[in-house]
Amino acid sequence: MAKADTVLIVGAGPAGLEAARTVSDLGKRAILVEAKAELGGTPYASYATLTPDLQETEHSMKHMLDAVQNNPAVDVRMNTRIVNSEGELGSFHVSLSRDGTETVEEVGAIVVATGFQHFDPGRETQMYGYYEYDDVITLVDAEKMFKEGKVVRPSTSQPPEKVAFIQCVGSRDRQIGNKYCSKVCCGIASKQSIEIKRMLPNSKVFIFYIDMRMYGFWEDQIYWKAQEEYKVNYIRGIVTEIIKKGDKLLVKGEDTTMGRPMEVLMDLVILSVGMEPSKGTIEMSRIFQIPREEHGFLQVVGGPLNTVSTPVPGIFVAGAAAGPKDIEDSVSMGAAAAAKAVGVLNRLTLQV
Amino acid sequence: MQKAKAIELDVAVVDGVELKGSWNRMFEPRAISEYDLSVLEEITAIPGAESLGYCYQCGKCTGVCPVDTVGDYSPRKIFRRTQLGISLIDSPDLWLCTTCRNCLRVCPKEVNMIDIMPAVREQAVLEGKAPEELLTAFENTARYGNPIGESPRKRVEWTKSAGVPIPIMSQKKAPVDVLWFVECYPSYHPRGKQASAALARIFDALHIDFGILGNEEKCAGDSQRMAGEHGLFEMLAEHNIKMLSKYSFNQIVVTDPHAYNAFLHEYPKYGGEWPVQHYTQYLSEHLGDIQFTREIPYRVTFHDPCYLGRHNGEYEAPRRLLNALPGMELVEMGHCRETSYCCGGGGGGMWLDSFTRDYASERLSERRVREAVEYEAEILAVTCPYEVPRFEDAVKSTGNAGKLAVMDIAELLAYSMGLVDSLAMAN
Repeated sequence: MAKADTVLIVGAGPAGLEAARTVSDLGKRAILVEAKAELGGTPYASYATLTPDLQETEHSMKHMLDAVQNNPAVDVRMNTRIVNSEGELGSFHVSLSRDGTETVEEVGAIVVATGFQHFDPGRETQMYGYYEYDDVITLVDAEKMFKEGKVVRPSTSQPPEKVAFIQCVGSRDRQIGNKYCSKVCCGIASKQSIEIKRMLPNSKVFIFYIDMRMYGFWEDQIYWKAQEEYKVNYIRGIVTEIIKKGDKLLVKGEDTTMGRPMEVLMDLVILSVGMEPSKGTIEMSRIFQIPREEHGFLQVVGGPLNTVSTPVPGIFVAGAAAGPKDIEDSVSMGAAAAAKAVGVLNRLTLQV
Repeated sequence: MQKAKAIELDVAVVDGVELKGSWNRMFEPRAISEYDLSVLEEITAIPGAESLGYCYQCGKCTGVCPVDTVGDYSPRKIFRRTQLGISLIDSPDLWLCTTCRNCLRVCPKEVNMIDIMPAVREQAVLEGKAPEELLTAFENTARYGNPIGESPRKRVEWTKSAGVPIPIMSQKKAPVDVLWFVECYPSYHPRGKQASAALARIFDALHIDFGILGNEEKCAGDSQRMAGEHGLFEMLAEHNIKMLSKYSFNQIVVTDPHAYNAFLHEYPKYGGEWPVQHYTQYLSEHLGDIQFTREIPYRVTFHDPCYLGRHNGEYEAPRRLLNALPGMELVEMGHCRETSYCCGGGGGGMWLDSFTRDYASERLSERRVREAVEYEAEILAVTCPYEVPRFEDAVKSTGNAGKLAVMDIAELLAYSMGLVDSLAMAN
């Protein structure tokens, strides 16, 4: 069964890249399909630096890209989409489309690593005016500026004196339909606050939060560091709405540890937008018939004890396609999914 | 910015005009309109006060801060108010902390009020913003060598009525084993003097070769340091070190845990480094030499002094002595050892009672006395010179006169050793 030696990996973000590298390390062939023209996924495309160590993304991830690009065991297909799939474990027939040209590949197992998309703050019940006010931006917009080595108010192109981060935008909200925590935004906001203070040491930076969720080492690596070394101000109490006042933004909410309403003027507001399943992830759910769990991400079986096996035999999931993940979790899942995929193929070969 | 306080007066006169009518309540504006971070920057720039900026609002300190049980104060709140732009230097908050160290014991971020308070208070003192009665205590200390304002020449007067010879180093002109640093309240306060006489008799009965500095001794100054008068503290330390350096002795024994703290941690910075013990530590090592002849048939509880316990980790020595007393039943209060409550006298609190009254529903000593009564103690044993007067006042003001006696451990020991004739029991 020659075809059973190939694992199809969908999505070339951190999880997909690590899955492809692991498949080749374990002696099988990988086809790595990426819809976009660039490898590296959302972190690579949208983040100037990585959390928590603030290393430049392109530099940090270079070895992951190299591992698949110059690897005879990895067949990289850029600008390519999955359009159909038939068959089952050991013999999936998957249709790939590139520039209107369709090809069919026969593969033994599949790893879906199609990731997340950032919450669109135009679709919200919180009134933050993302599409109305130039100076209300998202974490992603801020990273774009950081890539250019600057942080300015979009309305004036001048550096802001006061910057506010608003946490949990699009997360933890029943009305929006996202009841989950997106896991990484507290860390990314803290990381960005450090970067802003490095670029603008005299600026005042505030992070308005419901509760800070800094998993594991992020607690002291970024949260304590931002507060103690960079004098970032953490204010407990989420912002309810933003009102334009002159050329500034009036940020309104409750300062909960004081038990008082709060109405303070800011120059720049950065919305800590959470994660939702990407369009690609939803599309893969349909094409590969992978059920979505109650939050809309791809379902895994086995709960905490098996993070990568979907209910469909031979199809695995890695990274944020399965729910909010930081990069370290995504990379770990990529390797785990690849190992399990190769494992089922090995068992099939033994049975023959 | 001074926090606005609600005022309700029976008769209000403004510019000579009497205002009539009923009062409405006055509140400060409800909405926070500005986080003026300049104040936080200014405070955390003071050397020693940096860690105030580390607070992440968990509120563990509030749960154990004794001051918050009687008023609206805790380290967490101090950080938030400062972050809001309320000047700690101008705020009464600055003078409410007794430096009891209970917050630092539980703080996950190590926000260190024991460093913050003296540092910020020093700034306030320099700016002339310390409460009047505290300044009086500072002036007395500078002028007379004691915060009470007593004559320095009378510092040894208590020795005349002690009933045993008390060698004074300048007259003895010979080395001693133990240099007893008596301190101010044990030299001047009527109840302190009784405890000092008891301790002198114990030393005498145990044939301890000891001497005191007498009138050459000045206040050790640790509470003045914690209250913000670092310059005064340095002056006192240099004086005491100079006097002590004139004589030969093997070790220092102190009556006062605050002096113990100074000799242990601060005086070495000025060249004054000697082995030092609190008298309970010293005596607990000599328990084998002590002959008890009288029973103390009472229920006794013990108040751990902040500066012996939490500050310096000594919880056992006083208990070893108390447990050795025949006939006595030692009962521990809920707040004991590490969780011990504060008498309110530390960190300058001893000299701020009138000031504190405006910001507290009751005195800390009153809460502590209530706890002792709740545990049905007949004697509240103490071993810090601040405590006998503070707790005896609190026994009266809480209506517990006749129920609870307050005694220094030295007084209990001396009675049980047959060295004093009676115990001043409450009834």
